[in-house]
Amino acid sequence: MGKRFILIRGAEVVLFGLLAVVPWFINNPYALGLLTLLAIYGILLIGLDVTVGYLGQVNLGQVAFLGLGAYAAGLSVSLMGFGMVGALSASLLVGLIFGGLLAFPSLRLEGPQFALATLSFSALTTTILNEWESLTGGAQGLNVTRPTLFGLNLQAQGFYWLCLSLLLLVWFLMRNLLSGQWGRAFEALRDSPIATDAMGVGCFRYKVAAFALGSSLGGLAGGLYAFNFQYLQPQSFVYELMVILLLGVVLGGRKSLWGAVVGAMIVVLLPNLLSNRFLFQMFSAIGLVLALIAGFLGILKKNTPWFQAIAPIVAMSLLVGGGLTVSNTEDWRKAIFALMLFSVVVGLPEGVMGFAGRFFSRLLAVLPASLPPPCDLDAVLPRRSVNGKPILKIQQLHRHFGGVKAVDNLSMEVCSGQIHGLIGPNGSGKSTVVNVISGLYSPTSGNCLLHDKPLPHGSLYQVARSGVARTFQNLQLFGELSTLANVMVAMKGAYRTSFPMVLAGFAHAEERRAQASAMALLHLMGMAQHAATPAKDLTYGTQRFLEIARALARQPEVLILDEPAAGLSRPDIQKLLAIIRQINQRGITIILIEHHMDVVSALCDVVTVLDGGKVIAEGDPQTIKRHPMVITAYLGTV
Amino acid sequence: MNSVIIAQMVVSGALMGQVYALIAYGFQLTFATSKSINFGQGELVMLSAFFSLSLVGIGLPFGLVVVGGLLFGVGMGLFVERAGVRLALEQKSEGWILLTIILGLFGFSAAENIWGRDDRPFPTPISGDPIQVLGIGITPLELSVTVGVLAIMGLIEGFKRKTLLGKAFEAVSTDRDAAELMGISATRTIMLSYGLSGLVAAMAGILIAPITTVGPTMASALILKAFSVAVVAGLNSGFGVVITGLVLGALESLTSYYLGSGWREAPGLTLLILALAVRPNGLFGKTTIRKV
Repeated sequence: MGKRFILIRGAEVVLFGLLAVVPWFINNPYALGLLTLLAIYGILLIGLDVTVGYLGQVNLGQVAFLGLGAYAAGLSVSLMGFGMVGALSASLLVGLIFGGLLAFPSLRLEGPQFALATLSFSALTTTILNEWESLTGGAQGLNVTRPTLFGLNLQAQGFYWLCLSLLLLVWFLMRNLLSGQWGRAFEALRDSPIATDAMGVGCFRYKVAAFALGSSLGGLAGGLYAFNFQYLQPQSFVYELMVILLLGVVLGGRKSLWGAVVGAMIVVLLPNLLSNRFLFQMFSAIGLVLALIAGFLGILKKNTPWFQAIAPIVAMSLLVGGGLTVSNTEDWRKAIFALMLFSVVVGLPEGVMGFAGRFFSRLLAVLPASLPPPCDLDAVLPRRSVNGKPILKIQQLHRHFGGVKAVDNLSMEVCSGQIHGLIGPNGSGKSTVVNVISGLYSPTSGNCLLHDKPLPHGSLYQVARSGVARTFQNLQLFGELSTLANVMVAMKGAYRTSFPMVLAGFAHAEERRAQASAMALLHLMGMAQHAATPAKDLTYGTQRFLEIARALARQPEVLILDEPAAGLSRPDIQKLLAIIRQINQRGITIILIEHHMDVVSALCDVVTVLDGGKVIAEGDPQTIKRHPMVITAYLGTV
Repeated sequence: MNSVIIAQMVVSGALMGQVYALIAYGFQLTFATSKSINFGQGELVMLSAFFSLSLVGIGLPFGLVVVGGLLFGVGMGLFVERAGVRLALEQKSEGWILLTIILGLFGFSAAENIWGRDDRPFPTPISGDPIQVLGIGITPLELSVTVGVLAIMGLIEGFKRKTLLGKAFEAVSTDRDAAELMGISATRTIMLSYGLSGLVAAMAGILIAPITTVGPTMASALILKAFSVAVVAGLNSGFGVVITGLVLGALESLTSYYLGSGWREAPGLTLLILALAVRPNGLFGKTTIRKV
């Protein structure tokens, strides 16, 4: 039990303890209403943070799930006579189902397209809620009665405690889920979908899961929303609320439960802030002062682009100026949201809690969580027996792009335990061969056999699961994740705890084991000291080694290294040679694509030379160097 | 009788659909150079219409109103690029999605307070009396929309193909890095594309304003349909948006006739989600090969 653990858990206990006892001290229905709303929006924003923070996608659909959940809860009570538990389960389920359904078409979408798809879904939902008058009452609205909870008739106070307990439950479950492999997989998906598949994690499963999970929380919040206001109108669930919810997540801080609750607090307090002139002026003045301090510090330290320093100051000045001159701040509500959101997105991208987290851990000298010592390398990378027989066979492989025959009737065999070089001039088809074997492209015709069984076609994920791992020539690391997490996320067979058990918090032991295993691989690469560094902050050479470590976490039979020495310094190349030999001695078969002939000569048992998508020579490195066709291919004819 | 009504619906819907096509074309212009679009484009359409209305109000002749409105649109487009897009693009983040939404929200609020929340008529010299063609009534006003849309799209496409600046635009769209190495400033080209996109938005506002009236919410439904058109057609086919605009316009006027006007947004939104699911690059778009 370190200081870190006590502080973090302590803060959580204090937060929820305070929130729980408030109704005994403040007997004010209005304040209680705000607190109830805080708990509801807290759940909603924790859900939204899964897609916005962890998946890194701008999700404009959460407001639709709030609406769907609300109507589902209201209608299940009035039409089917459900109790509180039944109605809330219904709203959760509606969010889960519609979220899962929407996730399918949105699966292949990134960035703007994802935003558009979710935006359309929201607009469509509003249209349907408005027009299906026989069910929803349309624009007239729908009256909702608050059902009993196990026969208990909940009054304002009781309902507040219900919302708060649900928030606590969601907090606890999501903390368990997001701090482990699930959270890591979501983030991996954000940074590189291709590598997520190539490391056997699987985009499909996690993207659908993340979206369905976030949406189901939206639905649950909707159910509570319905029983809180007891009156529903389609017009409540529109674009403007969506923007405010995004404001909550971004301002509170992404990828943080605290951030979601702080964000909810802001969302709840905003309308009150706007109706009270003095409060508004005070807060906008504080905002301006903060923007000024941050801006000047940024310019002085020269670590901020001038636009990033100036723009929030301008926006905040507008806010202050407006607060002094405008006759009615309510009228300018949207502009005020816009200015605040603008300042935060530009000036404080990590949000209040991101900033506060760093500030407090420095202030209280909290050390990062300690890492376990590395486990024995044999446990992570078991020695494989080698028989020298062909392990991977490529038979009459073709891959055409339109009229270009990138791979043209290629056959080759890679023998177990060998380092097999694949060389050829630029454009000879090496990368395409690797991309076909690893499943990024489907072959036009032909087959790749591993142990005489065909490898799946055109699926990075399935090939990775069959025992072939690869690295990428253009690095595909999970940039925001730490070095250790990059390896951990790919760790084969480390995560066996079932989903409900993970939610309940029983995955600590396996998490610890995965850390130890990943540390062992980092040790092998000589980069254990970088374990906590985000991958994007590593030097280029170290990033190349991390690619290899991550691929090894798949415990592959065949490891494909795509130009591992490209751009490495001389000492790093020596280190690379030693590491590749060491991996190979453990019985892992290696396919090495490389341009450095000295690396190829030093390592490879066999070399295959490609030109124009065909094999032009095969043999040991010395023979290859003197082969007349190879010399012609590289140097041309006189 | 019934078939005449249907034909009437299809024709006027298709003519209106050209406005969606024009706004969608504005998305394509910026997407080509920077892979970003202005999520506040609808507010830009609306603000330009309001600005032009004010120009009418101070008694400018109609020709000058159009010029003034278009210049305003260009200015706003440039502002959006500077304030909402450039920083995010430099950081290679998708912050521009949020920032352009935010700028749009600000514009919306500003319009509500400067020009009021009511819808106002937009005077125009073009007649609104229908001419009978084969039993179908078409107003010169509706025709002016289609003519205006095709004219401005033709002009911009001509500019991209014939002038040196336009070729720089195409170069950056094709390969940004290579264009920079050839001495073309990508930043300036992106500015240009946002300026043009603003111009197009203003044009759409001026064309549609006499038909729909001018109000803060005039573009909120419009923009959703423009998104649909852009996505269904693909974000890189100017020809595609015109066709898709025609079809979607006709489809939604039929929908509102048969299901009621509340449902008129539904076909576009459904088409958009379906198109994204089946062909994320659009019906007329090119598929790209993933490279690693």
